[in-house]
This record gives sequence, C-alpha cells and structure tokens, in this order.
Amino acid sequence: MRALLRGVLALLREIADENAYHRHLRVHGRAHSAAEWRRFSDERLARKFAQGKCC
Amino acid sequence: MKKIAGRIAWGLISFAAAFFMAGIAIDRGEPVNSFWIVLAAACTYLVGFRFYARFIAARVMALDDQRATPAERLRDGHDYEPTNKWILFGHHFAAIAGPGPLVGPTLAAQFGYLPSVYWIIIGAVLGGAVQDFVILFCSMRRDGKTLGQMARDEIGKTGGITALLTVLFIMIILLAVIALVVVNALKGSPWGTFTIAATMPIALFMGLYLRYWRPGRVLECSALGFVLVMASIFGGQAVASSPVLAPWFTWPATTLAIAVMAYGFLSSVLPVWLFLAPRDYLSTFIKLGVVAMLAVGILVVHPTLQLPAFTRFVDGSGPIFAGKVFPFVFITIACGAVSGFHSLISSGTTPKMIAREWNAWPVGYGSMLLEGFVAIMALIAACSLQPGVFFAVNSPPGVVGANPAAAVATISSWGYPVSAGEMSALAADAGEKTLFYRTGGAPSLALGMARIFSSSVGSSSVGSTTGGGSALLGFWYHFAIMFEALFILTIIAAGTRVGRFMLSDLLGNAYPALKRSTWMPGVFATSAVVVMAWGYFLYQGVRDPLGGINSLWPLFGIANQLLAAVALCVGTTIFIKMHRARYMWITAAPLAWLVAVCFTAGYQKIFSDQPRVGFVAEANHLQSGLDAGTIAAGKIAETQATIFNDRLDAAVCGVFLIMVALILIDSVRAWVRILSGAREVQVDEAPFVLSHLQTEEL
Repeated sequence: MRALLRGVLALLREIADENAYHRHLRVHGRAHSAAEWRRFSDERLARKFAQGKCC
Repeated sequence: MKKIAGRIAWGLISFAAAFFMAGIAIDRGEPVNSFWIVLAAACTYLVGFRFYARFIAARVMALDDQRATPAERLRDGHDYEPTNKWILFGHHFAAIAGPGPLVGPTLAAQFGYLPSVYWIIIGAVLGGAVQDFVILFCSMRRDGKTLGQMARDEIGKTGGITALLTVLFIMIILLAVIALVVVNALKGSPWGTFTIAATMPIALFMGLYLRYWRPGRVLECSALGFVLVMASIFGGQAVASSPVLAPWFTWPATTLAIAVMAYGFLSSVLPVWLFLAPRDYLSTFIKLGVVAMLAVGILVVHPTLQLPAFTRFVDGSGPIFAGKVFPFVFITIACGAVSGFHSLISSGTTPKMIAREWNAWPVGYGSMLLEGFVAIMALIAACSLQPGVFFAVNSPPGVVGANPAAAVATISSWGYPVSAGEMSALAADAGEKTLFYRTGGAPSLALGMARIFSSSVGSSSVGSTTGGGSALLGFWYHFAIMFEALFILTIIAAGTRVGRFMLSDLLGNAYPALKRSTWMPGVFATSAVVVMAWGYFLYQGVRDPLGGINSLWPLFGIANQLLAAVALCVGTTIFIKMHRARYMWITAAPLAWLVAVCFTAGYQKIFSDQPRVGFVAEANHLQSGLDAGTIAAGKIAETQATIFNDRLDAAVCGVFLIMVALILIDSVRAWVRILSGAREVQVDEAPFVLSHLQTEEL
C-alpha cells in the first residue's frame, strides 16, 4: 500500500514537473531559487505547449 | 509448476473474455448489467496485452533492453530523461486521454450499446493500441522523431507535408467541435457558466502563486486550485438560485461561443505561465481523479444498461447524427478505439523518456487499453440513462420539435417513452432550467456520471430519472460538467497556441518577423486567424438547427481516423524496411479497415442523397427551397449561410480524403518498390549502443 502511494505521488510530481525541476537542478548543479524556477519553467512550458493536447 | 499455473490462469482469462464478449452479444431479452461489459473489456484487454502486444514486441519489433534508448544516449535532464515505466505510463495516459473517449461513446450510444462496446474493445486491441505502440517504437528507435519527420523520411516529401497539413486541419475541426460541446453544455445554465467563469481568475491566481509567491510548488498550488474550483461549484449553485445574479450568467449559445473564442484568443497571447500552464496542471489532476472515481463508482454501483443492444437508429435515421451504424459508429468513436492524434503524443515527449525498450510495451500499448477502458466507462454512464431521457437531452430541436411537448411526443413515438414532467423533475434535480436539446454529449454524460457518483455514496433516490430530488445529483452533475469543460477549455487554449505556432512557421517563410514569438503584432494576428478558423466552424455549429454535432463530429472523426491511417502507413513502411514484411498485416489490416471506414463515411458525408447525411444534398435541398420561394423571408439569410457552410464542409471533407489518398498511394508505391527490390532499403534507425543504465537510476 505504501509502495502504491509512493508511486502515485511520484506520478503526480512528474505530471506537475516537480521531478523534472529537481533533475534540472541536479544536472546543472544549481540550488532552488525563484529565478531558477522561472528559468526552468519558461523553457519547459515553451516546449510543452509547442505540442497540441490530445483529443 | 508455476508455468502450468500461469497457463491455466491465462486459459481461464481467455475463456472469460470469449464468454463475456459472447454473453453481451446474445440477446436474452433482458437488461444487461454493466459488469458484463466491464469484464468483457478487462479480460480481452488482458489477453491482447499479454499475447498480441508481446508477440509484436518480441517477434516484430525485437525490443532489446540491452540497447540504449534515446533517453539514455541523449540524456539532458530536460526532454531526454530515463523515467520509471509506471510514472511514464501515467504521464503518457494523462497526455492521450482527452474528451474524445468520453464524448464519442456517449454520442454513439444512439445506435445502442453493442456496436460501440465491440468497436471499443476490438478496435483498441487490434488498431488503436497497435498504432500507439508501433509509432512509439519507431520514434524511440529514431531519437524521438515526430510523426511528420518520420512520414517525410520513410515515405517521402508528400507524406511529410500531408501529415503536417492534416494535423493543422484536424486541430481546427477538433477545437471547433469540442468548443461546441462546452457551449451546448453551458447554454442557459447559470450554475455551469459561473463555475467555469470562476476557473479563469482561479487560473490567474495559480499562475501568480507559482511564479512569484511559491515558485516550484506545483502540487501545493494545484491542491489550492482544486479547493477553489470545488468552492466555485457551490458558488454556482448560489448564483443559479439568486434572482439577481442568475440572469448575469444565463447566456445563450451564440454569446457563449463568442466568449469561448475570446478565451481562446487571450490564452494564446497571454504568457503561458500566467494562464495556460496552471490550468493544464489542474485539469490533468482532476481528469485522472475523475477517471479513477468513475471506475470505482461503476464497480460499486454496476448500473444496469437502460439502452438496448441496438436501437432503431442503426438504419441511419439517428437524431443525434445521421448515418448508418457502418461506417458512422467507427468514426464517432475515434479516441477510445483508434485515434490518430495519439500518434503525435507517441512521437512527442514519451519516446524521449523511455528508459528501456521493453517499457514501450506497457506505455505504448497498455496506455491505449486504459483509454479504451475510459471509453467503456463513459458508454456505461450514458447507457445507464433511460433511453427517452438520453434522446431528449441529446436531440436537437430541428429533429424532435422546437418545444418540450413536441420533443417528448416525437421521442415517445420512437418507442422510448419520456414525459415533459419527468424531464422537468430531472432538470430541477440537476439544478438546471431544462435539459432538452443539450446536444454534444457532455450533459448526458454528466447526468450518467452524476447518477453513478451520487448512488455510490449511498443516495438511493438519486438517479431515478423520475426525479426524486436531491442536492447530490445537482452537485455531481455540475462537478461532471466542470470536469469536462475545464479540460476541454485547456485543450482549446493549448490547441490555439499550437495552431498559432504552426501558422507563424508557415507564413514566416514569406514574412520572417512572424517567426519571432516576441513580435506581438505577429502573435496577435496569427492567434486571431487561428481563432477565427475554428470559431467559424463553432459558430456554424451553434446556429445549426440540427445541433452542429451532426455535421462537425463526423468531420472530426474522419480527420482523426485519417491521421491514424497516416501513422499506420508510416508503421507499415518501417516494418517492411526492417525486413518484417510478413508481419506487415499487423499495421496494414487496421489501416485497410480505417481507409474503408473513412472513405465510405467521407463519401457519404459529401455525396449521400439524404439531406441529413450528405452536405451537398442538404445544400441542394435548401437551394431548391430558396429557388421555389418556400423559405420564409426572415430565414433567407440563414438558409444561404447554411448552404455555404454545407458546401464548405463538403470541401473540407474532400480535402481530407484527397490528402490521405495521396499519402496512401505514396506509401503503397514505396512498399511495392521495396518488396520488388526496385528500391534500396535504408533503415533510418539510430545505431546500437549498449545500455549502461542502472536499475537504481529509475
């Protein structure tokens, strides 16, 4: 049950781009800050919404 | 011993699949419980996944976990990132599941439940899931190339251009038709209109919260957004019961259509972080939550289906849309069975996140089966309504009569009794003034869902279509409407933006400034053009006395299935190039079926001599009325507009068919040349690189 909840939370964090943000911080060796989130978010959203959403 | 137990278990599941599939097909003259359908789908999907998909993965694709995927080779922490397969499964499912698998089966229920059940189950196993899986595999072996790039590289220039144009056209029709679904759900409904209007400032608040107040806290922000949206449903109830506020939010369809167009324009020009992104996060979470709730609700309530296996409308005289069960059930239900749009997702972000090749099996094939299950649940929700109520909600005034008395008389004369009093009581329970003429599928689906949700929390009186009165039904009805409208509007916002990018790219070749996304006059102009394109079709649908769905949904279905045909052409070509020609039937068989279905439907929509089916016949019929002077003076302008729209729809349909005929001819020519040895085979796969990915990295 705990594993299932962990999996659900991981999925939600993936959909929320929170996991991607942590990967971004890790890969670039940076710390979290408002400016860093905005930089990441702008890049991420630009790519994400260059593609249509499914019907 | 374990092996034998496994074989016995799979033997039993296979037997159960055959038993339940046959069981629902045999007419026993008694209502069918939805459990039969749930079990038929579940068992068939399990067998398809375990045997057919595994066969494709092992024998045809030769998936190899030793081979490094693009996520590993090109890892950049952004797009390319090896991801746990179950997380990616959920991510991919969230991306492919839109309103299509909910609305399509609801509309197709006019034929009865049986054609839809069979198409959703068989179509998903042999067609839709195969397409998604094959395109995901092809893209994964090509560093995450898009469908358009693969069509150009594998088939030829015509294929690439056709794929691009098809996507643009399908997007325009898609946005128009789903906008029509929302407009028809909200017209004359202050409760629904207020709730959806409230989601706009909520999204802006969420955008600012994420950007400036709590950067990076997406889950926290979405939870807050969810609480506010739920509060707005209760707010909507208060607005609807206020004699002062209710008229402010009681809008006719034309006003709502203009509001949706304004919304599409604003969401295309506003910064994405401010409006679109927070809505997208929120609607995705609510979508997943509601799908899970619906699954639990159906298991708990397991309603009996009220609609028969077949209705009289299999003959083509259906009130929701005209046309015989073949081919129209197969284009009405696209998402849920076979959806070309999925190929764009399967060749989008997902192939860049696959950690191991074998993960494509559950992600590509399994996700589509789950979407098929969503379609089955939507069908059950719709079919659990009494047939008279179902048709009263979904039939346009142009078919059943312009007042409730005429409508109930017409519907009852079909053998589906319903009374005006019954409809009034149901509307009162749902918190609406009326539920007549709510075409588009969303309101009837919401009623079915509300019935299941409210029954599953223990309200026994709720859901009987004779009223019974309960605040619960009203809440759940508007919760379901909010859920549908929220994510449909998010798709409209995202789609308008993508259409704007495509148009800027296209026109930017002539006027380079348009390619700069920071040049605001260009952003405004291209957004306006895209909104006007889909807005035109939306407005046409809103003004259509036959409800708009009759003309627009088939166009959308044809376009979507034709895109699937393009994807299957690409898949077949790649199989042949991989020296798997003996397995080309895996993609060629669903391709042949889709071509037969789409071309038959397209031909009938253009050339049928029945005015309700054929665009040209309706235009001619109206024109002859004009020529004979039998059209009232006040209706002449409207009739001329309808004639123009019919001709336009016929032309659009014709363009779809011609484009796909071109790509089909191009593909067949390539296959023949490869198979006859006239063309050298070049497999455009990325080279083999040994994987060094560690399990703990996932």
